[in-house]
Amino acid sequence: MDVALKIWRYDPESGERALKRYEVEAPEWACLLDVLDIVKDQVDGTLAYRKSCRMMICGSCGMRMDGRAILACKERMKPIVDRGHVPVISAMGNMPIVKDLAVDMGPFWQKIRAMKPWIEPGYEEYPEGGEFRHSQEQMNPIHKEALCIMCGCCVSECNSMEADPDFLGPAALAKGFRFVGDPRDQAKVERLELYNSEHGIWDCTRCYFCNERCPKGVDPRDAIAKLGAESIKEGIDRDMGAKHAKWFVRSAVTTGWLRETELVPKTQGLVSAIKETKFALSLAKRGKVPPPFPPHVADKQHEARMLRDLIATQGRDGALGHVQGERALSRIEHAVMADPDHAGRRRDAPEITPGEAPVNRDIGEQP
Amino acid sequence: MRVAYYKGCLASLSAKELDTSTQALAPMLGLELEELDAVTCCGAGDIHEAEPDYYLHLNARILAYAQATGADTLMTICNVCTLNLRQANHMLQNDAALLARVSENLEKVGAPPYSGGVEVRHFLWMVADDFYDQLKLVAHKGLKGLKVAPFYGCQILRPSKLMGFEDPDRPWSLEAIIDACGGEAIDYPAKIKCCGFPIIQAREETALGELIQPIEQAMEAGADAMVTPCPLCHLSLDAWQQKLEASTGKAFRMPILHLSQLIGVAAGLEKSELRFRRHVVSMEPVLAKLEGPS
Repeated sequence: MDVALKIWRYDPESGERALKRYEVEAPEWACLLDVLDIVKDQVDGTLAYRKSCRMMICGSCGMRMDGRAILACKERMKPIVDRGHVPVISAMGNMPIVKDLAVDMGPFWQKIRAMKPWIEPGYEEYPEGGEFRHSQEQMNPIHKEALCIMCGCCVSECNSMEADPDFLGPAALAKGFRFVGDPRDQAKVERLELYNSEHGIWDCTRCYFCNERCPKGVDPRDAIAKLGAESIKEGIDRDMGAKHAKWFVRSAVTTGWLRETELVPKTQGLVSAIKETKFALSLAKRGKVPPPFPPHVADKQHEARMLRDLIATQGRDGALGHVQGERALSRIEHAVMADPDHAGRRRDAPEITPGEAPVNRDIGEQP
Repeated sequence: MRVAYYKGCLASLSAKELDTSTQALAPMLGLELEELDAVTCCGAGDIHEAEPDYYLHLNARILAYAQATGADTLMTICNVCTLNLRQANHMLQNDAALLARVSENLEKVGAPPYSGGVEVRHFLWMVADDFYDQLKLVAHKGLKGLKVAPFYGCQILRPSKLMGFEDPDRPWSLEAIIDACGGEAIDYPAKIKCCGFPIIQAREETALGELIQPIEQAMEAGADAMVTPCPLCHLSLDAWQQKLEASTGKAFRMPILHLSQLIGVAAGLEKSELRFRRHVVSMEPVLAKLEGPS
């Protein structure tokens, strides 16, 4: 088949960026990585990208296609060619570009290392018999996190990291839970303290880009939620993010509905809240600071309170509350919607993609 | 079409204008809303993070009360409610043992049981899909080609496996509605990105770094106003915009519409139903444009 694609080239020596079009002949079974190999072999030997295993396990070939972070070895080209589409290939976001499609993963590895990604077994001698045995059930809580191949697709799209480059981010935090939830690890509390840092768990903005992009089904956002649940279970709740989350629980138990006006002082503390008086007044003028009295109480609110007391005895606290739903959630296909019924109504999005648009930060300043 | 209506926390309090405009529009579209009184907050992702088992039960309780009305659809008007409820619903509908335990717990505290019989759908999807032809009739006053920047926000697009409505990278529903109302949809890359609201209190600087992208891009693309299907995005875009102006020295003054207000203007709703006076950024420039010569 004839394949056409456009590639964002970047030359580190001249600092020049250019979108170049390539057309090659490729076998029908070709994936994007195969096509890049053909381009490099037959058209332009200077094209730079990373690859190794070609089978979605090494995590080397992360890049963007039409603005979405993908693994080049996972994307089949035939359906794209059949549609007559010419995809735009660019480097991943949130990481500096080294050349063309290759990014500097240095900061990525630094954050993985900061999680202390090794087991702290809490013993020095092996037990009699030489091994510790663990059941599948004990390992289930970290089943998804253990699938991570550290390709960087989640980090590429992380909205919090765009605004705060120091955010530990989805890959590192998912790695963190892989150890927090490991029954062999004895350093859970120390880890949670570490991950509760300024740029840790509570810096996540819940944009769910990481879950959307992960090619292995790790669902990093859910791993971050597991870390949040374990932190609060262990009483590690001094972060404003943890206080914010706890206030929703408190609201549900006392009135059923969010006690919105009290959320700011309960999250930030009274002093910070007072500093925000001017801002709060500008909102109050528009009815955006509802008075806490009389409280907005849900009908039959006592049921919500009783439910919390009831389930406290059922052993699904902390991260287990997330794990219990994973089996069901994994039964849903992770597929882009292609509903022919909407063909008439659907408008083809214009040629703006995050990979192509000049305003996107991933194309910005380079070393 | 009769649906159970879950308005959530914000539309009950600080974003009442979203509720009044939705309630006023519903009968015009042919929607009968059955409001749920005995329901609580969905937890807004915060209870999901803090106490996930409690999150599941609170949402199951909302679903159970919706099912008890006899309606098969629970309509939401907030992205965050949509994700939280759909996620809980998927867990319960696809795991019989989990559903049995949760439903039994609901009955123990006196709530109705839940059998998985409700589908959670956002107002945006219902208008863009079920009521699209009706919308064209309802929006008789039009928008005089008003340039509107659609802002989807996150939790109505992602994770797409939980949403199942449109391509999360190339959504079309807001654009189709703007079209039908007689406006011109403006395109810009950040329309599918985050407004920063979930961390706007705990990490304001990071949140503002996210918020600035859609507002700045919409302005550069020449938008007269932005529209969003989520009251949390609305609060962030409308109320926190002044903080962006303070930190960047730029005057954005970008008017932000709830989806129901955008349709409401085109449908000729009363001022008392649209309640633009509850917005922080003035809607006057938009209204002046709509009242001016076409």
